[in-house]
Amino acid sequence: MQKVTDNIFLLVLFAMVGTFILAAAFIFFFLKYQRNITKQKEALQKAALEHSEQLLHATLLSQEEERKRIGRDLHDDVGASLSNLKMIMAQNADISSEKHKPLIDNIITTVRNISHSLSPPGLDLFGLEFTLHELLDTINSSGGIQVHFESQVGEKIDALEKNTALAIYRVVQELLSNTIKHAGAQNVYLKFFTENNCVAVTYQDDGKGLPAGNEKKAGMGMGMQNIEARLKMIDAGFTIHAPEHKGFFIKILLSKTASQFEIV
Amino acid sequence: MNSKFFMSVLVPWSIFLPLIIGLLKFKLLPKNARIIWYYLLVSAVVNFAASFIGRRLHLNNLPLIHLYTAIEGLMFCWFYKVTLEAPKGSPLFRWLPVLFVLLCIINALFFQSIYSYSSYTRSLEAIFCILFALNYFARAITDNKGKALILLPAFYFNAGIFLYFSGAFMLFVFSNFIFNLSESNYYIIWVIHAGFVLCMYLFFATAFLLCKK
Repeated sequence: MQKVTDNIFLLVLFAMVGTFILAAAFIFFFLKYQRNITKQKEALQKAALEHSEQLLHATLLSQEEERKRIGRDLHDDVGASLSNLKMIMAQNADISSEKHKPLIDNIITTVRNISHSLSPPGLDLFGLEFTLHELLDTINSSGGIQVHFESQVGEKIDALEKNTALAIYRVVQELLSNTIKHAGAQNVYLKFFTENNCVAVTYQDDGKGLPAGNEKKAGMGMGMQNIEARLKMIDAGFTIHAPEHKGFFIKILLSKTASQFEIV
Repeated sequence: MNSKFFMSVLVPWSIFLPLIIGLLKFKLLPKNARIIWYYLLVSAVVNFAASFIGRRLHLNNLPLIHLYTAIEGLMFCWFYKVTLEAPKGSPLFRWLPVLFVLLCIINALFFQSIYSYSSYTRSLEAIFCILFALNYFARAITDNKGKALILLPAFYFNAGIFLYFSGAFMLFVFSNFIFNLSESNYYIIWVIHAGFVLCMYLFFATAFLLCKK
């Protein structure tokens, strides 16, 4: 057996200093790693805060827009019609005249439309499916686009909580408004179905989709922020898929646990 | 600065730095910091007693290290029980101190003479302190509640203990072995050990400085 000539004293010395340096290096890199993690957490918190502020801003802005629109409708339609009626009545004392009837009907229709836009009346009485049918019938009868509605969830659609049903109604309204304004689509497919014991909704149009590389920015538009805020309020998750020239697609999952928001 | 001054004056007296800072802020110290302060107090008493016995009475002071190892092990167990927020009645923190003291007694009675260095129990103590320290680091990554570790007193206590025991572990293991080979080399190694001790005291002093209401 070969004789070991190593100096045991030196070996212990190296081992002591070596482990001390290793321990010191461990602490140094640990601190660096922890600092990076803290920075990342802070950045995430900041981003989440900014996002919440954006959502709040969008909600307030949309409320203001809504108030302006109602004010404009009241002033331009109801106000103008009532002024006309007043002028006609001042000129003609015979208030039972048949010629006033169309004007009064017009005022009634306008007031009903404004009132319906504020709160869909069928939602409480007849449920979400009926109210959506009413909305879609109006759009289909205008001749611009055709909305195809399909529900595979049976009575579950009308058993949704009032807030959830109203949020879904508003989201569909917002999506239809976006499709009509920007998509240039011919058809819209709205479908309710069940996924993992939860009600899911898909909305798809055959329009131009979103410009390439703009999918992420879809979340930044005010309409989309409204949609996100409403879905967040009811703890629903959503996924958007909107490649250029291939239409717009959104899937909403109505579940307390599905609170993820994803744009792919 | 010669090594004798470093070993017998600077390092032993440097223990008063954390002790005095700790004493001045004693009311502000959390429980784990108070345990370290008590540990430093015991350490100071034992160190000066050992020095007196060795230098003035010219007697072998190594029996004290057997006693000190048991006390130090108990205090670090207590410190980590508090720092790691071990649940009440945790079997590890209930049985480890008992087992360790028993091992110290058995070691002193049957394995290593009380007039030699208690290398077995001291190495064992170093191992469990290093493991506790690593456990603290692992937990600090996940649940430090967003606070920067560099501002936490517990981090400095832990870092001091981790550095000291990591550096001194080999010395504890080979202490008696080297002593028998060469006394002069043995002395040099203890000078380095004193450096590690000084480093630990400085970390403890920083930790006491960081303790706030």
